[in-house]
Amino acid sequence: MKKIIKINFSFLTFLLIPLIFLWNPNYFRLMDVQPQWSILWLFPWACVYGPFNGLLAGLSLGIVLDSLYQDPYTQIPGMVICGFLFGKLSKYKSSDINKFKYCLICSYGSLICNCIYFFQIIFYNYENNNILWFAYGIKNVFAQIFVTGLLAPVICNLLFSLFKKNHVRNPSIF
Amino acid sequence: MRLSKGSIYRDFYYYISQPFWPGKFQREIIKDSNYKELNMKLIQLDKDNKRLRDLLNLQRASDHNKINAAVISRQTGNWWQQLILNRGKKDGIQVGDSVVGPGGLVGIIENTSFLTSSVKLLTSTQSKVGVWHQRSNIHGLLVGLGNNSPKLFFYTKDLDVKEGDFIFSSPASTLLPPNIPIGIVESINNESQSVLIANIQLLAKPEAIDWVQVLKLK
Repeated sequence: MKKIIKINFSFLTFLLIPLIFLWNPNYFRLMDVQPQWSILWLFPWACVYGPFNGLLAGLSLGIVLDSLYQDPYTQIPGMVICGFLFGKLSKYKSSDINKFKYCLICSYGSLICNCIYFFQIIFYNYENNNILWFAYGIKNVFAQIFVTGLLAPVICNLLFSLFKKNHVRNPSIF
Repeated sequence: MRLSKGSIYRDFYYYISQPFWPGKFQREIIKDSNYKELNMKLIQLDKDNKRLRDLLNLQRASDHNKINAAVISRQTGNWWQQLILNRGKKDGIQVGDSVVGPGGLVGIIENTSFLTSSVKLLTSTQSKVGVWHQRSNIHGLLVGLGNNSPKLFFYTKDLDVKEGDFIFSSPASTLLPPNIPIGIVESINNESQSVLIANIQLLAKPEAIDWVQVLKLK
């Protein structure tokens, strides 16, 4: 059992993402908006394991997160794009990406995911001609970008070290 | 004496009769009897209401069909507006049951698992509920916008809607239990030419509620 946990520790952290989404701790919220936990996990994962693994991880995360909420909109496209783009950064040395860049990259990732999600809401409600929620959408996008970027240096740094150790032992997950 | 109309006597009588005035005890007897009278009237009206609703085949919520549930997960300020409750199919909760918290209606059960159920809040962008404006006796459509103030649409312009008016679930609804308090008209937007839009302040605050009741419809 210990061996399995050691080998798949980075993968076990994947299982924590939906639980953190449901837990939604108060002290990490900004204007009632929680950070994009999936981006904070996906960025180090994709950077360590490459674009293909990042894409698959993004797809898996999107499927799991979509199952948590009953909305007709999906998070899969945003997660897949981010997983692939973050994976492209794997060719750079870890010393090239400093902690300030973690913040920026996660904020960009959050921006991509949130914008795709928001466009889906606009597209879905286009016929209803109900643009009253536009302000709420903008608030959500910017609050989430800010709070995700704020937490990125701490959480991504921790996850990077975990995933790198695991990657040496077990280079291919998928 | 005549000019004063006996005011001295009356004032004197005021002082000497003070110990014998009807006291708190008598006031409470009157209050109690008033309360009993109102209670009896309420029971009678409730019976009448039930009988008439049965005749019209309308929904009604029974006191025997309430299930208490704790909120175990809360999403109130994000893209998703939902609560997750610690009661599910195991406890007899079904999709479409209404959820009320302290104050009034919170949302509707959208999905159930064996142990849990998720509530679509009235503030969700997916939420559209028919409601009843009590003072003008007219129906409206309450639409969630993702923030704490859903909008109420009346599809006629000339209505007597004022700030502070109460909004209830529709008495003719086939989806919700009738006459559950929902909110108060916070402000009115007269900019639209065809519809009257009102901002509603919900009575139940989903961001602060820890316990709710699930109302099962008969």
